[in-house]
Amino acid sequence: MKIIVAIKQVPDRDAPVRIAAGSKWIEERELQFAMNEPDAYALEEALELKEKHGGEVIVISAGPERVGTTIREALAKGADRAIHIVCEDLEARDALGVARLLAAAIKQENPDLVLTGLQSEDLGLGQTGVILAELLAMPHSTLILHVEKIDSGIKVKRELEEGWFQSIEMPLPAVLTMQSGGNKLRYATLMGIKRAKTKETRLVAAGDLGAGAASAVVLERIALPRKEKSTQILPGSPKDAAAALVEKLKTEARVL
Amino acid sequence: MTVLFPIPAEPRHFSILEELLFAALAAVSAYGFWRRFGPILNRILQSKKDADFHFFPIGGRVRDFVWEVVFQAKVIRERPLVGVAHALVFWAFCAFALVTLNHCATVFGIGFLDPAGRVGRWYFYFAGIFAVACAAGIAGLFVRRFLVQPKWLGELSWQSGLIALLIFVLMVTYLAAFFVADGSGAVRALWWAHMLTLLVFLPLIPHTKHLHLMLSPFTVFLSRGAFSRIPPLIGDEDFGLVAGKDLTRLVSLQAYSCVECGRCMEHCPANNTGKQLNPKEIVLGLRGYLNEYGPTSEEPLLGKYNAQEAVFQCTTCGACEFQCPVGIEHLPVLIGLRRGAVNTGAWEDDHGAKLFLALERGSNALGISPDERDKFIEKNSLPIFDGTQEYCLWLGCMGSYDPKGREIVLALVRVMRFLGVSFGVLRKERCSGDPVRRLGNDLVFQQLAEANLEALTQNKVKKIVSICPHCVRTIQEDWKAFGTPPEVEHHSEFLARFGDQLPSVKNQETPDQKKIAFHDPCYLGRYRNVYDEPRKVAALAGELVEAPRSRERSFCCGAGGGLSFLGEETGERVSHVRAAELAGTGAGIVGTACPFCNTMFRDALAERGEGAPELLDIAQLAARGLQKDGKG
Repeated sequence: MKIIVAIKQVPDRDAPVRIAAGSKWIEERELQFAMNEPDAYALEEALELKEKHGGEVIVISAGPERVGTTIREALAKGADRAIHIVCEDLEARDALGVARLLAAAIKQENPDLVLTGLQSEDLGLGQTGVILAELLAMPHSTLILHVEKIDSGIKVKRELEEGWFQSIEMPLPAVLTMQSGGNKLRYATLMGIKRAKTKETRLVAAGDLGAGAASAVVLERIALPRKEKSTQILPGSPKDAAAALVEKLKTEARVL
Repeated sequence: MTVLFPIPAEPRHFSILEELLFAALAAVSAYGFWRRFGPILNRILQSKKDADFHFFPIGGRVRDFVWEVVFQAKVIRERPLVGVAHALVFWAFCAFALVTLNHCATVFGIGFLDPAGRVGRWYFYFAGIFAVACAAGIAGLFVRRFLVQPKWLGELSWQSGLIALLIFVLMVTYLAAFFVADGSGAVRALWWAHMLTLLVFLPLIPHTKHLHLMLSPFTVFLSRGAFSRIPPLIGDEDFGLVAGKDLTRLVSLQAYSCVECGRCMEHCPANNTGKQLNPKEIVLGLRGYLNEYGPTSEEPLLGKYNAQEAVFQCTTCGACEFQCPVGIEHLPVLIGLRRGAVNTGAWEDDHGAKLFLALERGSNALGISPDERDKFIEKNSLPIFDGTQEYCLWLGCMGSYDPKGREIVLALVRVMRFLGVSFGVLRKERCSGDPVRRLGNDLVFQQLAEANLEALTQNKVKKIVSICPHCVRTIQEDWKAFGTPPEVEHHSEFLARFGDQLPSVKNQETPDQKKIAFHDPCYLGRYRNVYDEPRKVAALAGELVEAPRSRERSFCCGAGGGLSFLGEETGERVSHVRAAELAGTGAGIVGTACPFCNTMFRDALAERGEGAPELLDIAQLAARGLQKDGKG
């Protein structure tokens, strides 16, 4: 099986977020970056499929030079080779624009299966994988926890609400967006990193892919959420206060 | 003189036939010896060279050799009665060197010690005294092994019995010569009995653990030079001890030197709590592997002779390496085996993977957001290190995120403020890397060490004081592979220096003063040789009592070696066993000097319920004096 895993490098979850001048993006200078977690699960699933059924796992990622470290990590964990779409203005592109870049590079490879995380940890749009499937003219399924190879293609386990799961049989080639937690992530090993040095990372300039750059969606402004503190004392007997509290948790705080 | 004291009778003349017979038998014996010893020596020499072995400086080597081999100091100190018995046997062997040579020479007519001459006579008496001592010693050891049967010695071995018998016979045949008439047939018979016993003994040496007779003096002399000295990985294909071809000469030499005394096993916390790990079996497993597969094999080391599960039960407390009388260094072997499993991804463990992933992405081993550390610093107004203060107070993962660790830090801060010492904490800290270093993950460890060294240089840190012996060890020793770490000391060393300035509660009238049982942390005691400083500090708060196993024999709390980050242990819980021992001293306070020990005992003592001793770090004990003083 030839599997392509599309990975995004995102700011580290614990990074302190500061808005850059112009309010169009965040200040990246002092940030640490890491592999998007759902993409890490996608990679893990791809590696397990390769271990079971043979084949090749190719990692693809778009972004500036720093994306190289995340690509190397993927190679260290067991991917066979990588494609780095060098792009300095990833944040200026919308989901359609990014999907176009990925699709243009992926089409050349003719994969059996494309895996990617269901959403990114920074923007969380959840769209890129789905648009990618359309552009590749492949069937897709989202929120996948587990992939099993069967004679007619693949059988996938999909997460629904309220603890329900759905089982779907699909033909190949296909695109799947993966949910976190479906399997156990492997750790990067010294041996993996040393071997990664010998694996190919093909650099492709974004401009060379012929994907149109004009965005359908433009990010106007980003801002930090306003944090407010407010205290309400609920009067009355404990019974009345409790009832009032439940009402507020349902309608105002919206946690019930 | 010649009338009062008997002289040993020696045969004067041997026939040509006897000379030839002896020469033939000696040749057979030597061949038998070499047939077994040669391949062993070969296997040792064919092993990979040790990358970081330095013969010089030689002073330490000579000192250790004289102390441990010649004086048998470690043999005696750690098991006194048995040790003396062994020392007598060993010294007798040394004293007998000339006797044996002379005996061999006499058969060819070139004996050089004349029992009637002054030198000869005094020498034979001198050897005679040792013969008596040796006979007594070996008889005692025989009784211990076959009648007392301590479990450290393993299963009864007929080879040991045979060797004991041979040694006994050697001594008896020597001594008997003092009591037979010169020129009689008995003299010749005794000579032959003695020499035949020797010729039987010689080829048996490489077949049994008595090979240590030949090897252990070299093993002690050629040690790595420091406690738990972990060798560097060389080149792109070195991942630790994966297969036979990764075994180095020192490891092979040490594997063949094991005398199976079981001192390592006796003090191992894992072995004492029902786990599979047995440090003796780890070493003997390597010996078995070398005998079967050799030092160039690709066959995995963790397989037939050693189990992966056992290797990952080690807390790296170092009791084994510390105890070994023949110079075996268990820690580099155990960590090497772990490296082989982890660096190649062969170790599959959920908790281990979680730890590695937490440190791959994040800053600390606990997987907690660094915001929590920022909040702790802000809430307690801890000064930030800016290069102007004298000390950088290193919080470590436990000091930054663990509730008990934080209490220890705050107590130390109070004391440092009282002393007027300038200090600051780093804005950002990453884990020192101790757990991953001991678990054998060199990828993550290198990342952490390099990032930390760069941060410390940028922040102009010159001196570090830390509450955690693991951080101290890792920063001072393990980071050296990647740069030059700043000076670092443990807070017990720091506080002990100011001991006179710190008020003691003992001068005050407090009738309900509790006794303090101080628990020596492995990484402060055995690893760093610091035993008195924490006691000096703890003594500020009360009277000390010693636990049965203390100082270099301190029994591990169970957290080391990365184990506190792994799952539940099998068998009895090491921390509970140690907590019971500490509580059993009758002390009202258990004193610790390591946040890991503190965390382990917190749970273990809590489970003892009412009446369990209080648990306090030495920083908190020192701060107590401040409290009562009203100045803290």
